[in-house]
Amino acid sequence: MMTRTRTLTVLVVSGAMLAALAAPAFALATYPPNKPDSTELINHQNVLGDVTKGLFWNGKAITFHGEAIGEVMVRGDYAWIHLNDDAYMVENIEEGAKLGGYNSGMAVWVPSALTKQIDTYGDYQHEGSIVSIAGVFNGACKQHGGDMDIHATSLRVLAAGHVVVDPVRPWKVVLAVVLASIAGLLFWFERKYRYLLRQSGRVGT
Amino acid sequence: MIVRPRLEDHLVIGKYTGKVIVGVGLLMVIPLLVSLGFGEWDTAVDFVISISACLIFGFGTQLFCRTEKDMNWSHGLVVASGAWVWATALGALPHYLSGHASSYLDTLFDVMSGYTTTGLYLLQDIDHIANGLNMWRHLLTYAGGQGIVVIALTFLFKGTSGAYKVYVGEGKDEKLLPNVVHTARAIWLVSLTWLVVGTAALTATGIWLGQMPIRAFFHAMWVFMGAWSTGGFAPQSYNTFWFHSLTYETICIVIMIAGSFNFALHWAMWTGNLKEIRRNVETISMFVTLSVTTLAATFWLAKANVYPDAMSLLRKVFYQIVSGHTTTGFSTVYAKAFVTQWGPIGLVVTTIAMAIGASACSTGGGIKGIRMGIMSKAFLQDIRRMVSPESALVSQKYHHIRDVWLDDGLVRGAMTITVAYVTIYAVATIVGVLYGFPLDQAAFEAVSAASNTGLSCGVTAPTIPALMKVTYIASMWLGRLEFMSVFALGGYLWSVVRGR
Repeated sequence: MMTRTRTLTVLVVSGAMLAALAAPAFALATYPPNKPDSTELINHQNVLGDVTKGLFWNGKAITFHGEAIGEVMVRGDYAWIHLNDDAYMVENIEEGAKLGGYNSGMAVWVPSALTKQIDTYGDYQHEGSIVSIAGVFNGACKQHGGDMDIHATSLRVLAAGHVVVDPVRPWKVVLAVVLASIAGLLFWFERKYRYLLRQSGRVGT
Repeated sequence: MIVRPRLEDHLVIGKYTGKVIVGVGLLMVIPLLVSLGFGEWDTAVDFVISISACLIFGFGTQLFCRTEKDMNWSHGLVVASGAWVWATALGALPHYLSGHASSYLDTLFDVMSGYTTTGLYLLQDIDHIANGLNMWRHLLTYAGGQGIVVIALTFLFKGTSGAYKVYVGEGKDEKLLPNVVHTARAIWLVSLTWLVVGTAALTATGIWLGQMPIRAFFHAMWVFMGAWSTGGFAPQSYNTFWFHSLTYETICIVIMIAGSFNFALHWAMWTGNLKEIRRNVETISMFVTLSVTTLAATFWLAKANVYPDAMSLLRKVFYQIVSGHTTTGFSTVYAKAFVTQWGPIGLVVTTIAMAIGASACSTGGGIKGIRMGIMSKAFLQDIRRMVSPESALVSQKYHHIRDVWLDDGLVRGAMTITVAYVTIYAVATIVGVLYGFPLDQAAFEAVSAASNTGLSCGVTAPTIPALMKVTYIASMWLGRLEFMSVFALGGYLWSVVRGR
């Protein structure tokens, strides 16, 4: 009986550990890259003599998904959200993600009512919800002063966001205590030395 | 014969450099408090480590470099440029400990960019960095804009007569008041007043735009610091494009232009001389060059049919050009859009605006309006000389706080610094081209770094070669300190090695 329980425990713990290790990779696999992704949309050409690519994406209906970042800014019936489809979409550096370059994403103009589905926006202490939208891409939006944006008509949350804990590293605490002590000692010595100079009649600056 | 510096010289330099670094350490208390306030414990520990490192350096040098000797000119120049190197090396610790940079070189790049009010960055995933680190990034640029030596002069130097030398070494030469420490305090009085008013205006706008009050406040303060110091850092990777608001952009434009003004002009207006803004050679020069570059960019982008209507066109062009001309580096377009939407002419026009830059003795960089004014006046004087009778005495003056007669010395000084800027723009461009970047993009990025602007067309990235990063760091440093004090540091190091 005891052996059985132990085997079961080992199996459950191993399974949990494997799942934890595989989760980011699995999550990434769940969200294939956007087509077009934000980099491709940003790089679309619209300069004289090279308008073909610009004509291709500008005004087209696209779907796009990414991490809801920062905050929602409600402006009446519509709101601004920002979706990042970069290397930190599923997991950020504090959670152990590898450095993967700059952030990259798209500004999305969306009916405010739809944003209520989004429970978390990404920042230092949060990984934002992963949100998929469908809408029209504007290389230079007439309604929004020439901003590059997507006007979304539908929104779906693919994964809820979560709290991120950035644990204090013990080696940093030890280093902080040691360095702060040395700094304190030097400060004391410096003051003491200056005091002694003053006492001896030499000006201590 | 090169004279080797004596022990006393090293002691003077060490002592005053230590004082400046203590100032940097004390400045880190502000982001430490922000981290504690937001419960960012790991970041708070990073700041304790960094503050301690600064204090060890500062108290250590003051303990071991004890002297009663005051600074001479070369000491002041060496202290100013050397303090910037140490302040960068130690100020980069919070960046490095955050884990958001691929190397220490990248963090040095970011901190030099901050102090020099450039605004280019290599930190990765800034949309997820701690509020404490964001506070430090923006504080760097705010402090760097007024001058880190100015901070030390304000709080740590007690009326030493050598203070003026180190103040000049940081690229400032205006004495608003007879005493240089009082001048430093006057600079802070102006800057802090603007900080309160600007932050209040942006906070109110942020709340109106839908931000939570606490985020609106911090974003407002950081954006203000980025705008006033003509630094260009912003809390989100989207820069000021994040806000999607004409009102927010308009306030930013006002702050950017105010930040690019000479502190002497600010002080003149502060003390009631409002006419100075209309008469000053720098504001006139800026008005002319800003108008010309804006018109050129508008004409080109209208022809290219990039923006859907005139309002969008003007809004985008004016914001980016003001940002470039004031050497701020805020943008409401994606970096790569300068290449893909603005095209080669748009890139060149923005590059010219950045190269000219802001006013002397301001938070901005570039060749500066006063030098453009002096060179233009000298050019006009030469034309007048040519068309006047040989016996005629042709004189020319310009107005900067008071009327100043143009002489050959002034023109030569302006030309020398201009040639130095053009040289560094060219060298940094060549390095970019040698690494395979197109000439227009390499020039845009090189001028942006050396004029301390911070606009990017996508060249600057964590993946660029280390030599390019080093070139940009050196360009930012040389550009901000206007060469002389950096050359003095080089001369000092050379004399240590080769002097007798």
